[in-house]
Amino acid sequence: MSNQKKRSFQIEAFKHRVVVDPKYAERTWKIIEHAIHEIYNHNASGLSFEELYRNAYNMVLHKFGDKLYSGLVTTMSAHLKEISKSIEVAQGALFLEELNRKWNDHHKALQMIRDILMYMDRTYIPNTRKTPVHELGLNLWRDYIIHSGKIQSRLLSTLLELVHKERTGEVIDRGLMRNIIKMLMDLGSSVYQEDFEKPFLEVSAEFYKVESQKFIECCDCGDYLKKAEIRLNEEIERVAHYLDVKSEAKITNVVEKEMIANHMTRLVHMENSGLVNMLLDDKYEDLGKMYNLFKRVPNGLSMIRDVMTSHLRETGKQLVTDVESSKDPVEFVQRLLDERDKYDKIICQAFSNSKTFQNALNSSFEYFINLNSRSPEFISLFVDDKLRKGLKGVTEEDVEIILDKVMMLFRYLREKDVFEKYYKQHLAKRLLSGKTVCDDAERSLIVKLKTECGYQFTSKLEGMFTDMKTSEDTMQGFYANHPELADGPTLVVQVLTTGSWPTQATVTCNLPTEMATLCEKFRSHYLGTHTGRRLSWQTNMGTADIKATFGKGQKHELNVSTYQMCVLMLFNNYDMLSYKEIEQATEIPTSDLKRCLQSMACVKGKNVLRKEPMSKDIGTDDAFFVNDKFTSKFYKVKIGTVVAQKESEPEKLETRQRVEEDRKPQIEAAVVRIMKSRRVLDHNNVIAEVTKQLQSRFLANPTEIKKRIESLIEREFLERDSADRKVYRYLA
Amino acid sequence: MPPRASKRKSVPPNSSSVASSDGRSVSNKAKTKGMEKIDRLFNTYANSSLGMIDPEGIEALCADLGVDYTDVRILMLAWKLKSEKQGYFTREEWQTGLKTLGVDSLSKLKKALPELEKEVEKPSNYEDFYTYAFRYCLTEEKQKSVDIESICELLNLVLGVQFRPQVDSLVEYLKIQNDYKVINADQWINFLRFCKEISFPDLRNYDANQAWPLILDNFVEWMKEKQS
Repeated sequence: MSNQKKRSFQIEAFKHRVVVDPKYAERTWKIIEHAIHEIYNHNASGLSFEELYRNAYNMVLHKFGDKLYSGLVTTMSAHLKEISKSIEVAQGALFLEELNRKWNDHHKALQMIRDILMYMDRTYIPNTRKTPVHELGLNLWRDYIIHSGKIQSRLLSTLLELVHKERTGEVIDRGLMRNIIKMLMDLGSSVYQEDFEKPFLEVSAEFYKVESQKFIECCDCGDYLKKAEIRLNEEIERVAHYLDVKSEAKITNVVEKEMIANHMTRLVHMENSGLVNMLLDDKYEDLGKMYNLFKRVPNGLSMIRDVMTSHLRETGKQLVTDVESSKDPVEFVQRLLDERDKYDKIICQAFSNSKTFQNALNSSFEYFINLNSRSPEFISLFVDDKLRKGLKGVTEEDVEIILDKVMMLFRYLREKDVFEKYYKQHLAKRLLSGKTVCDDAERSLIVKLKTECGYQFTSKLEGMFTDMKTSEDTMQGFYANHPELADGPTLVVQVLTTGSWPTQATVTCNLPTEMATLCEKFRSHYLGTHTGRRLSWQTNMGTADIKATFGKGQKHELNVSTYQMCVLMLFNNYDMLSYKEIEQATEIPTSDLKRCLQSMACVKGKNVLRKEPMSKDIGTDDAFFVNDKFTSKFYKVKIGTVVAQKESEPEKLETRQRVEEDRKPQIEAAVVRIMKSRRVLDHNNVIAEVTKQLQSRFLANPTEIKKRIESLIEREFLERDSADRKVYRYLA
Repeated sequence: MPPRASKRKSVPPNSSSVASSDGRSVSNKAKTKGMEKIDRLFNTYANSSLGMIDPEGIEALCADLGVDYTDVRILMLAWKLKSEKQGYFTREEWQTGLKTLGVDSLSKLKKALPELEKEVEKPSNYEDFYTYAFRYCLTEEKQKSVDIESICELLNLVLGVQFRPQVDSLVEYLKIQNDYKVINADQWINFLRFCKEISFPDLRNYDANQAWPLILDNFVEWMKEKQS
């Protein structure tokens, strides 16, 4: 039993110096070295991981880390030198295989070695900032194998040769390629890039330079694009299979540059197969290919767009200035619509409906449609034609489609107010001759115009429709109040509100007595209910249906204009009338009378009158008779319709003048509006603002705007600023 | 147009001192004496039934001054007098004007003319004078423009000395063109601006996109066509 005294434990240091057996380090190292040899010789199974680990651990613990590390380096290097030799002697195809095999071995060995030396990796290496084992293994592999003089260039050329083989159609061992490439990637991105990727890209560039040159000499544009597309896809697939994914963008850039960018211009302008030809022949597939390929290179799409635009402008310009097509307005507009449809389809199918291409299409149309100053008139005539007869049997949806297309063309017009003027004229003629086939279509178009241009644009047009309706009601009221007239000639009056309808000179003629009295009765009836209004008969716009019996008893109903009726009714009382007598009796203006007589005496099938002499023109000494020999297949014969026609030159001039006159107050109103809100504004800005405000109706001429401003200054709406004469002030 | 009769009553001689237009107050006696002389001078030329100097009177005045009736100095005098009606000087205008000039006799008036010229030519006064010259031609009530013939003469008179080449070309053009039969105040003032600002005859710094009146745009175009 020990003393009962309590004694605390004391630990004392060894009294003797602890000396590690100097041979200990060497012995331990030898064990590890041997293990490494065995590992490389595929004899690792006989080794004890635990023992080796402990040995390595002890070495590091006893401060023999340096020896361990340097030993590792030496041993591994020696092995790698051996391996290098074995790879070098491999022949032909076996070279890569050997490399691959040895790499796998080394990789596995490295794993094991690293595991064994894990303690060193975690403690010694961070302290001494040496390269960790795994990385060391890779670096040594890199230095002794990959960068070995006899291997480095051979490796590269082998790899490149294989790629080339594949490009020329041979099959290669992709799995092997993948492994080798992965090895390079594992060795570090700089190894991959320097030892493979850079040269690969250079060689590829060279390859494609040559190939593209070859193709472009012998292929047409479509074929070339096909080939380029194939090559591009090949390269993408190659990367996916055995290259670093980061290489995809680089190699595709190479292909794009060599095959597309370098030959872009030549492709686009290739004779007989270039872009223009593709457009003309609607080659959607080829165009699509071109679009997709050119999309990849800078300025590719803008080149396509520019060529398309200039071609379209050129074609459009020819279309529009072609004298022949100008002869038939409906044809003219139809061709424009067809052209637009064509390009719409191209952009939709081949250019992925790109907005920038749509814009190019629109700007081109806007450019050339306005080159022909008659475009507004023609578009109105097209609509007139469709609304008169062209829409029979067309479904409601199709009608909408046609009208929408017309609206598209309308939007391109710069001089929308000219269109309005013509549209009004043509609508008036349609309404008054009862020639509109489809009221719904008419109204639908008005709604579209209203949406596009605002209420003001269409208010007068709508007024015209209202007048027609009101007139119907008025006629009913008239006959209700005058039942005694039911047996006489039926009068149909359309009362037109002056402001809404196109201005016409009021020219009256002498109506036959029966008509004159009837008209007077109507006038009093109307003015009875609408005091304060003024009615003026527009005899140049009316029609009449009259029954006629000819010499052999043939009976016909003739549909004629009011003027023609006046002339024909005269022959109830006279067998023969001279031109002068007719003129005196009817007081129809000369040119109208001549036209009227011509249509009844000189036109085959409508010659209800006979003329002496039988010349084609009406002379002031001519004599007229009823044509007793008149025959027609039909009972109802129509003579002289009032169809909207293309204007003659003087009429065109007059319309144009009226449009110009109408523009003046609009410009002034715009100037006043702008100045009222801004109070003070300089000249250039006034011009810009006015132009902008009016652009939905017409393109305002700066000189005209200036004239209006000066007029407003004179009338003291505006003044020039006293300090800066370029500035205007609004005078309240 | 009925002639304007001066409605102002004559100042009684015993009134307190009155400041003249240059701010100096004049003592009664001297003032009365001066005004008397001015008045007497007025009466020499005035049409007694009208109560003011009429064109005949002005002609006589010109003769006495040794100046031509159409001389620009008469226009300058009218400007100085702030005369409202072309060809007539009212008593009021005469009195105020001559007092401002500091003259009360014919000889003094004659001597004052060169100074008056210099005064007009001062940049601060010149534009005012120029504008006045146009207004002076508006003889009818509500008249806003002056016919081309008169404008040409006026241009010669007013700008001829300083801007001879411009005036010659402009006058030639105005007579040929038919866009405008009359010239308004805005166009008139811009003629002066044109002469002052635009280098002539090359017209190098003329920009038609600026706010120059259209008539000048057309003039420049005509000049350029002539020169090519």
